[in-house]
Amino acid sequence: MLAIRHLKVAYGITEVLRDVSFEVPQGRIVALLGGNGSGKTTVLNTLTGLVKPVSGSITFEGKECAGLAPDAIVRAGICQVPQGREVWPGMTVHDNLELGAATRRDWPGIRSDLAEIYAMFPKLADRKKRYAGSLSGGEQQMVAIGRALMARPRCLLMDEPSAGLAPAIVGDMVDTILALNRRGLTILLVEQNIGVAAAVAEFAHILQGGEIAFSGPAAGLVDNPAVLRSYLGR
Amino acid sequence: MLLLSYLLLSGVTTGALYALVALGIVVVNKATGVINFAHGELFMFSGFVAWSLHVGAGLAYPIALPLAVAAGFALGVATDRIAFRPLMKADVISLVLATVGIAFVLRGVARVIWGGKADYLAFPPITSPEPVMLGEIMVIPQQLAVLGGAIVVMLIFAAFFRLTRAGKMMQATADNAKAATLVGIRTERIYTLSFGTGAAIAAAAAVLMAPLTLLYPDMGFAFFIKGFAAAVLGGLTSLPGAVLGGLTIGVIEALAGGYIHSSFIEVSAFVVIMIVLIVRPTGLLGVSRVRRV
Ligand SMILES: Nc1ncnc2c1ncn2[C@@H]1O[C@H](COP(=O)(O)OP(=O)(O)O)[C@@H](O)[C@H]1O
Ligand SMILES: [Mg+2]
Repeated sequence: MLAIRHLKVAYGITEVLRDVSFEVPQGRIVALLGGNGSGKTTVLNTLTGLVKPVSGSITFEGKECAGLAPDAIVRAGICQVPQGREVWPGMTVHDNLELGAATRRDWPGIRSDLAEIYAMFPKLADRKKRYAGSLSGGEQQMVAIGRALMARPRCLLMDEPSAGLAPAIVGDMVDTILALNRRGLTILLVEQNIGVAAAVAEFAHILQGGEIAFSGPAAGLVDNPAVLRSYLGR
Repeated sequence: MLLLSYLLLSGVTTGALYALVALGIVVVNKATGVINFAHGELFMFSGFVAWSLHVGAGLAYPIALPLAVAAGFALGVATDRIAFRPLMKADVISLVLATVGIAFVLRGVARVIWGGKADYLAFPPITSPEPVMLGEIMVIPQQLAVLGGAIVVMLIFAAFFRLTRAGKMMQATADNAKAATLVGIRTERIYTLSFGTGAAIAAAAAVLMAPLTLLYPDMGFAFFIKGFAAAVLGGLTSLPGAVLGGLTIGVIEALAGGYIHSSFIEVSAFVVIMIVLIVRPTGLLGVSRVRRV
């Protein structure tokens, strides 16, 4: 289980997260929603050690992770698929995936995981030697997910994986997220697309004003106009 | 024909050395976004270390070379620890000034250790200095040895960069440092490695060049400027561009010196660079990149 307690995060004097607490139970998919600039990415970046919290605690499988260096957090089993994909454009698909295992030294395991990712995303297998920067948005998203999986995380943080995808392939992304969860991955999903969040997550938290303003079953969200209007501005 | 072949060969040889200096500048700039203004002094200092090992301590040249390269690597690592890592969060001007400071310190130390005896130290030639005729072409064996050595250094570096995990981590950090951090690459170590690698390549260039010329404590700046010009010509972040830029400058200098006047050697390269940069502001092989903050 990933548990976030009283997390406070500031950039300089600008406080972005005032007091954020929520949990992601083992093996579940939880959605974190909120308007633009509400601090969703900041939550994920704090969980992965890119941003140091002012105070609060983050525990994963009972281990305190707040303030650890990013590589220590990857080793602890948490990996992020960043917003905007952030692949290495000038490197091949294969090198992108392989470097996802930067913290690992179990070479046979790395090789079999690579094979598994190519089996999961056959399109990437056809494009192994292509530069990641030359792929379509959807393919780059597969590279970003595959790269994160190469670290063998037990908890995956996904930041708007459906953003910028053609509507026709958003459904594939939903299938991918569900498939990853079926393999036992705990997933914290940040989404702008409420449909995607409602389709995969059991539970949703809405971030507003630096706090969790609403928590409830994700499926109910799409039918709750009051929630959509007041928290997400739709 | 004889003059042309001679000029081309010596141009390519000097150009290959410029290319190595440029490669070091580009390796550091790609990874850290900083121009290491101590690069020329790292080159000079490593050349003197090689002199001490080879002439001073009497070690064979093939042994002195890797030792001087190792010393260069260590100096590069020290530059990172002193001038880059403590200032990583500071603005670029402070970083650049810190490398300028390192340059002055290295130059001062070199004067103390190797100055005084004579301002110029001669490195014994490794092969016969006599030219040989290969058919129509006049060849100086020493130049061929230097050229061959430079090519070997480039190949070793290319293999390291493209095939090893450490090399790929350097590429990834240069491509997108945030993504590198997110997969657990310790980017501050990669910056150290980049400074070390850049300086090691400069050291290899200095040791290869030493038998062709004289060593003096102020030589760093002249080579830095040529290497920097080559790097700019190649686009500042392109490794093949650095090699192409170095060779271009070496050949242009040789041709201008041979066909126009020796006084054109120093300026010709810069004239060409200005023209190239007006036509192609990103350099020959550079791509315009939007820097992520
Ligand atoms: N590196 C940063 N430095 C300063 N302010 C930032 C930084 N990153 C984000 N912010 C600010 O923090 C707030 C939350 O941003 P973010 O976490 O990216 O929101 P979201 O992902 O929900 O759109 C925004 O107001 C943004 O401008
Ligand atoms: Mg965001």
